[in-house]
Amino acid sequence: MVARRKFATLKSFLNYIGVEGDRTIFTWVSASEGDRWAQVIKGATEKIKALGPASKMVKTVA
Amino acid sequence: MENIETKLREEAQRLLLEKKADVIIGYEKGTLPLTATPCFITRPEEAEKLIWNNLCTQNLAKFVHDLITAHKNSQKRVKPEDRKKKVIGVVARGCTTRSIIIHLQERQYDRGEVYIIGVPCDGYVESKKLRTAAGGADIIEGDMEGGQIKVKTAEGEKTVALKEVLSDSCRTCRYNNPIISDVMVGSPAPAMNPEAEYDQVKEFEAKSIEERWAYFTKEMAKCIRCNACRQACPSCYCPTCFAEQSMPQWVGIGEDATDTQVFQFMRLYHMVGRCVDCGSCVAVCPMGVDLRNFLKKIDKDCWEMFGNRAGSSMEDMPPLGKFSENDKEDFIYNP
Ligand code: SF4
Ligand code: SF4
Repeated sequence: MVARRKFATLKSFLNYIGVEGDRTIFTWVSASEGDRWAQVIKGATEKIKALGPASKMVKTVA
Repeated sequence: MENIETKLREEAQRLLLEKKADVIIGYEKGTLPLTATPCFITRPEEAEKLIWNNLCTQNLAKFVHDLITAHKNSQKRVKPEDRKKKVIGVVARGCTTRSIIIHLQERQYDRGEVYIIGVPCDGYVESKKLRTAAGGADIIEGDMEGGQIKVKTAEGEKTVALKEVLSDSCRTCRYNNPIISDVMVGSPAPAMNPEAEYDQVKEFEAKSIEERWAYFTKEMAKCIRCNACRQACPSCYCPTCFAEQSMPQWVGIGEDATDTQVFQFMRLYHMVGRCVDCGSCVAVCPMGVDLRNFLKKIDKDCWEMFGNRAGSSMEDMPPLGKFSENDKEDFIYNP
């Protein structure tokens, strides 16, 4: 419930400061939805792969 | 304003004499020309110090929270039957009352612990703007009258229109009169220009993602991590800030640019439904970081998504503490 509103605003705010909004992926999966779980992970991985590695707000440790 | 000041002093004196408040937080003349500074009054005769004018900047709700917290901590070792209640009186304009409402919604203290002396507000002077308008040098002398400010610097004298140097927050303020109060001094101030409040945000949204990122990084690169913005903010009251936690350490404390971005991002994001646009953080920032451009976006989202304006109503709940059937769902990922 709280997460719902938090993620809506978080995604929008990240996008506003210039971090691709598509990187924020949020959804609900129930413990009984094994199939959907697999789909979500597959879909999310594909989306992120397509975007490539993140370059913003990434700290390089020397 | 003279009239308001007289009434304000009378009111403060009365409260202290009648023991309705143990301390009154207000503003007094600052040590530098054309400044006002927060002051704490405990004796009736000190009420003469109080002032109310366009130089009163900081959101005093910060100190209400500080004093109440300190008092509660001091009472912890006292036997329950001997504990004393303390009432904090505060001189409050619109944004200050909004911050107090947020504290009350977040159950930081009870309504009875604070006595609100409401004052109408027609905006305050942003000292960095005034300095620039005066030519950039230190202000040696100054005088404010009838919407005009006379300033003297080492380079000469100049007259600046008050309107020109008002804080950006004040220009588009929607709540310049107190939302709640126990007593009001002065009659309500005329409305500012709230229709324009999101103009800057809309303009920024229309830019490309790379331009937005460039601006964010440019602004955050100015930040020296002095934490003044956090210290001034009434909504930043956590006993231990995430920025200082070490187990786990959320963000590094060094000068790494990414750490600064993360610190700022997290502080800004914690303001969802909690930033009242008082501009105190902007006013205290020694580096002139444009925090408001980002805070206003959070405010805009909160209004557009949840129909909430931070601290604008005593009846409302914090927007992140509830949800509605009409909340948008387009951010949820559905493969
Ligand atoms: S973030 Fe800044 S403008 Fe917002 S409430 Fe805190 S001090 Fe005021
Ligand atoms: S007041 Fe300004 S310089 Fe200091 S931490 Fe805040 S943004 Fe950074």
